[in-house]
Amino acid sequence: MKQDAAKAGGLTRDFDPDVVIVGSGAAGGMAAYVLTRAGIKCLILEAGRDYDPLAETAMFQTAAQAPLRGASTPDKHFGYFDATANGGWQVPGEPYTNAEGSTFKWWRSRMLGGRTNHWGRHVPRFGPYDFKAKSRDGLGMDWPISYEDIAPYYDRTEKLIGVAGANAGLENHPDSGPGVLLPPSKPRIPELAIKAGANALGIPCVPSRYAILTRDKPHPHAPRQACFNATPCGRGCSIGAAFQTTTSLLPMAMGTGRCRIITNAMVSRVLTNERGRASGVEYFDKTGTPRMVKARAVVLAASACESARLLLNSHAAGAKQGLANSSGQVGLGLMDTTGTNITGQIPALENRPRFNEDGMEVAHLYIPFWLYKEQAAGKLDFPRAYHYEIGGRFGAPGGNPAGGLEDGYGASLKEDARRYYGSFVSFTVRGEMIPNAESYCEIDPEAKDKFGIPVLRFHWKFSDHEYRQIGHGMKTARDIIHKLGGRVVTPELPPEKAIADGGWIIHEVGTTRMGASRSDSVTDSFGRTWDVDNLVVADGGVFTSNAHKNPTLTIMALAWRSMDRLAERMKKGEV
Amino acid sequence: MSISRRVTLAWVAAAATLPYAASAQTAAPAPWSDATIAPLTAAGYGQDPNLQHPSVPWPLTLNSHQREALRIAADLMLPADSHSPSGGTLHLDAFIDEWISAPYPDQQRDRALILKGLDWLDAECRQRSGKDFAGSSDEQRRAVFDLIAWRKKIAPGYEQAAAFFARMRTLMMIGFYSLPEGSADIGYMGNTPNLGPYPGPTREALAHFNQAMTGLGLKPAG
Repeated sequence: MKQDAAKAGGLTRDFDPDVVIVGSGAAGGMAAYVLTRAGIKCLILEAGRDYDPLAETAMFQTAAQAPLRGASTPDKHFGYFDATANGGWQVPGEPYTNAEGSTFKWWRSRMLGGRTNHWGRHVPRFGPYDFKAKSRDGLGMDWPISYEDIAPYYDRTEKLIGVAGANAGLENHPDSGPGVLLPPSKPRIPELAIKAGANALGIPCVPSRYAILTRDKPHPHAPRQACFNATPCGRGCSIGAAFQTTTSLLPMAMGTGRCRIITNAMVSRVLTNERGRASGVEYFDKTGTPRMVKARAVVLAASACESARLLLNSHAAGAKQGLANSSGQVGLGLMDTTGTNITGQIPALENRPRFNEDGMEVAHLYIPFWLYKEQAAGKLDFPRAYHYEIGGRFGAPGGNPAGGLEDGYGASLKEDARRYYGSFVSFTVRGEMIPNAESYCEIDPEAKDKFGIPVLRFHWKFSDHEYRQIGHGMKTARDIIHKLGGRVVTPELPPEKAIADGGWIIHEVGTTRMGASRSDSVTDSFGRTWDVDNLVVADGGVFTSNAHKNPTLTIMALAWRSMDRLAERMKKGEV
Repeated sequence: MSISRRVTLAWVAAAATLPYAASAQTAAPAPWSDATIAPLTAAGYGQDPNLQHPSVPWPLTLNSHQREALRIAADLMLPADSHSPSGGTLHLDAFIDEWISAPYPDQQRDRALILKGLDWLDAECRQRSGKDFAGSSDEQRRAVFDLIAWRKKIAPGYEQAAAFFARMRTLMMIGFYSLPEGSADIGYMGNTPNLGPYPGPTREALAHFNQAMTGLGLKPAG
């Protein structure tokens, strides 16, 4: 997108924002969309550069056109053509640290639209159990809201962003309202195989839910086309089929005439007045010059850890450790999703007839958690749930089609490639982690970034809950592979070794959690900080627990709900 | 580059026995170098490269002798058949040069393995025939490949060379099948817009699948 204000390097004189929003990703985009529609003027500050998906997305480029055939490198972790610009596990000049013994990885994306340009787009809903998990198993904390509070916002959000999927009517996997979902895509052969194997073991395998359009979505400012069943979604989508804020919420907000965006604006702290209320923010512009913006309210949507960092680096008069932190909870409660992968090779799928198996790029089926009754009856040795995102297809060349099973050389090697290509099935385990006292972030006492802003230091530890859950997920995936007469290709490791490092799944949430009481949480159920009346956290920081269901849909639904409340309060003159 | 005394001695010993080695089928494997390969210092493409006009910013580093050996190896690895041309014809030597010349950690690990492996191939061939890999006949080259190429038939003492061969093979597979010719060989039919709902498997693909599931005692897709 092109913004006049961004090009001018600052605010135009004629624009006086009511609300300043920090971040332009899922939460910031939603905040701007909701508030501008309510007649409120918003200024978005984005730390990264401007980004134009229409001009920049590599759609049909092939691996052969990229350096190293598009392989993952430290510069482009998800491959050369991935949408992420100026981002990754490390961002030059913007370090973070790990406490001794901790390995937490923090993915950041310094670009307009943030991490919505590349994301999984898998959007299952949290269910009724997920908001009251402590009541079920005594662990962690219950949310201050229930499923019924957020259900209407799930419907609205799904309809707004466009979700292809189907209602499965399964326990704790809520259906969407009538007319909300777009039609799902027909399954591929390896997905049908996984379904056959899983069903034979009593495990469901149902249409997945992805934030990808299977029907056109007209809009005067953000027209989006239906998926044309080609090109990888992780590269971003120049036709707007795969949801990202740069082709949807941001142009929609800009279209109201009530939104401005400044890119290359790294917010360093929230400013407060003598009454302890937020008065605006300070940011560093692209030249490294500090600037201030005043507003009636401040919305933090910088990502869970970045927003916690902002609060911890802001100082209210008389407060000992950061802003909105009288509870001492800012930075605590850090959670990621548990994860591991299991791949199998299925002889029955060797040399199968070829056809175009690209589809929506993402998996058309998935395996939701199916053991709630057994868990409630005490038959499982782990709490909380997981799901499988499944895979397998005649994929776009770029890797080794024989998947490492090839042998020797010569004519038979070429036969191996033809034989094994498309015969693999994969299971990506995604599970719920229980928050624990040893997983949190805080300000590093010494390290600073290139702007001079103190950086985060992470502490991280999994518990046996997570290890046992991952162990169950690995075993069940192997069972399905064996049921299909296949062999497990992934080396068998103990769960402690197989589990992905903290942060690796890029579902980090919980560092400014919402709660029912100001003594043990940072915000109320509308993301409003208990201590600062006009400061609202809209990102995943507010998560009280982190159900295995990928967080972005819930981030957006909660942000919508919180912004509705903020708009209402602003109209009443309370803010 | 530091070369241990042990390896140096082994090379001297190998050279000394050269005239005899050619006829001795039971010769010991050529030594595997434990030299340290100096890291490359060129810049990578950075975190914000131009995706519409990709380019490889680092210089290639293999010499013509190494490129020739890789080209020959690629022809043996992936020979021409009725489906696709050979690996050498598709310039896999150039791809591997690009790969191991990249300044990233994975590629640098491969660099050490490939450089040492190419040296080893020459040494092993010289030991057997008095000529380096490029100067040997295909028959002589295959005799060396057969010691290191097949998982369950790796000759004792040839484990490091086998690891080199496996990695070279993987890189050649990646290089070959990502090209249009390799992609057509395995029958990839995508990367083309398909408007409207995704049609799903063809009737033929579905019939094959249903038969496979029935064979496994599982429910077909119907």
